Amino acid sequence: MKRRVQVVICRTCSGAADVLDVDRLLRVASDAPYVGSAVIVNYACNKKSISEIVDDAKSKEVDRLLLVPCSKKDVSPTLFQAYVKKAKMNEFLMETVDLVGEAALPHRDDPARAQAKAEAKLLAAIARTALLEPLHKITEDMRTKNVVVIGAGVAGVEAATTAANLGMHTIIIEKSEKKLKVPGVMMTKSRVISTEGHAGNYSLSIEAGEKRETLECAAVVVASGGDWSDAERRFIDAAPDSKPLYQLDRDVSEGKTPDGTVIIIDTPDPEGARTAAQDFAWEEALDCAIEIRKKSPATEVYLLFQEMRAMGLAELAYKEAAGLGVTFVRYDAKRPPEFDSEDGNRVTVLDMAQDETLSIAFDALYYASVSPNPDNIAIADALRIPMSPSGGIRRGSIQRGPVTTLRPGIFVCGSAKFPKSEGMARLEGRAAGLLAAQFAAAGEVESGGSVAEVAPEKCSACLTCVRTCPYEAPFIGVAGKAEIAIQMCQGCGMCAGICPSKAIELHHFTDEQLLTEAAVYLRGDF
Amino acid sequence: MIIAERKPLGEIAMMVAPHEKVTVIGCRSCVAICLAGGEKEVDTLVSAMKLKSMNEGRTQYFDGFVLERQCEKEWVKEVEDKILAADVVLSMSCSLGAQTIGDLYPEKIVVPGLNTAMFGVPEEQGVWSEKCLGCGDCIIHTTGGICPIARCAKSMLNGPCGGSSNGHCEVNLEIECAWYAIYERLKLQDRLDLMDTVRPPKEWSTSHSGGRRVIVREDAKLTPHQIRGKEASL
Repeated sequence: MKRRVQVVICRTCSGAADVLDVDRLLRVASDAPYVGSAVIVNYACNKKSISEIVDDAKSKEVDRLLLVPCSKKDVSPTLFQAYVKKAKMNEFLMETVDLVGEAALPHRDDPARAQAKAEAKLLAAIARTALLEPLHKITEDMRTKNVVVIGAGVAGVEAATTAANLGMHTIIIEKSEKKLKVPGVMMTKSRVISTEGHAGNYSLSIEAGEKRETLECAAVVVASGGDWSDAERRFIDAAPDSKPLYQLDRDVSEGKTPDGTVIIIDTPDPEGARTAAQDFAWEEALDCAIEIRKKSPATEVYLLFQEMRAMGLAELAYKEAAGLGVTFVRYDAKRPPEFDSEDGNRVTVLDMAQDETLSIAFDALYYASVSPNPDNIAIADALRIPMSPSGGIRRGSIQRGPVTTLRPGIFVCGSAKFPKSEGMARLEGRAAGLLAAQFAAAGEVESGGSVAEVAPEKCSACLTCVRTCPYEAPFIGVAGKAEIAIQMCQGCGMCAGICPSKAIELHHFTDEQLLTEAAVYLRGDF
Repeated sequence: MIIAERKPLGEIAMMVAPHEKVTVIGCRSCVAICLAGGEKEVDTLVSAMKLKSMNEGRTQYFDGFVLERQCEKEWVKEVEDKILAADVVLSMSCSLGAQTIGDLYPEKIVVPGLNTAMFGVPEEQGVWSEKCLGCGDCIIHTTGGICPIARCAKSMLNGPCGGSSNGHCEVNLEIECAWYAIYERLKLQDRLDLMDTVRPPKEWSTSHSGGRRVIVREDAKLTPHQIRGKEASL
């Protein structure tokens, strides 16, 4: 192996924060050991630059690429694919180093420090890239073209319809008894208990009423939705007639607008833990408020909120609502509104904007907050996918995989991640259904690459890896030593980290590679 | 298996402080499995010791490696040169490994890096518990398969003491009462009559109380003829 690194610095992204000296980075890279070529391109993800990069790689006879300054998940996959095909490189010999997120942005007030850190990181990344070994993938045929969709809400039905229209056999797993006309099969009163197998050949255990069934599938879409019901119990207690916002939404869309004074309130959340969950609620709340004021101008509408999050185009709705005379009251989360139902329905709240205490008599109270589906924990457990801190299913990169999960072949859409408006849920459902269908239609699935491997001569068969792995990839093979099922391995490195005999290594994250990177980073030389 | 636990870094540093060349030897057997003295622990300790020695201004050299089983002479002899080159051997094995090295190379100073704690089993990842004391006269067929000698703080033979409370031991409320567990097990097996059987005082001479124990299997030992043959072939 040549171990000649091609360092490609993207000027657009490096200069984005206006902190880094791109030409200096180029000089640093050019002088570093193992560097066969160092070039600046204007915009690495652009087609023209890609052909420049490939031509340079061929003429300088390099065998690996280090792309500066973004993170791998943000790079256009086209670049990497072209590099593999046209420059005939091993796809695992391409690295990136994130100088924007880790040097420029955190130290934008101190350009000298940002530059020093960027240079050290660049040198460390070059050293690590030079030590990488080419890796390979294995392919396996899929046994079915089944796509399982969990949840028959807006997003789930859309996902199933999309996948079915593309020729997949879809199965919807729904926990309630509701029956819908959907393409493919719909299982009601059922839930996923556990998963075996791996991407492309998952085998789900389903509990359907009294029965247990095993369901083979190529891909899964999680569309578990959000939850309106119990989270706001204390409002229900405080004001006995309070209702969830979706009821107002339903009434308004049926032409029934309430009379008198209407209050829509969010959940006091002093820790700020649930703000993400409020986006959707506020979009719905604004829409309802606008409709009410338009149809029934005599109805007063108050929106009581801790933080109004009207994102994107919803901001126009905020403006419109204000124009129509909706009253916005921002309260302090540490001093939430107080309800009193003895003297009619009345709420006392300190309006932070006016610094004035308001006492509002109301006729109807709607709470506008939603939370992620509490079933997400069980679903995430059964599918072995990570969750986000707010209780939703964690998605992939916002740019490159907004409806993917961290496990290949499992997709997520709609409020399963965090509460979404109906339109957004439908859009995401379509995207997830499309990706799941595309995944299943491929007929074969690749695995391998940066996965763990056991050196059998060092293994004590102590079972530590078997007990530790969250994906059940390690097992004790016929030779009485641990082995890793490549298809199951997600490359997380937990087994390699804990193995007491140091018998397990995670490809691309070997001790040598990591220690060299750290040593270069800390010392600044090789 | 044998469960051990690493000594605190300060204590280890103090033992090796007077010596310049320190050879750290781990073991791939029990102590690797209980995450105390395998290759990873040896590497970690060597790094930590290097830092500590540097910080405290000593000139010391640390070298670490791991044997298949440190309690067996043949494995130890494989690294004889490294042992002989050291000023002190820091054994990251149970005390059996440390003593095997010491007995083979009596002129070498061998210090223990681990505290050998017990015969135990892994209950779950990262948790080990004691289940046998090595008394040399096993009685668990009469106690539902649960050893009261190891699992009862007082090694009671005929039911719990007065300190048993809601299934827990008075010595530490986090420990289960062995006799409570035995009762529950026997009840499950429908053998509660065994609770009424009186066990006479135990014969402790088979335990450590009878002095150091040596087990000899005459049928397994090499005959003088075999020994001569072996020597001749070498």
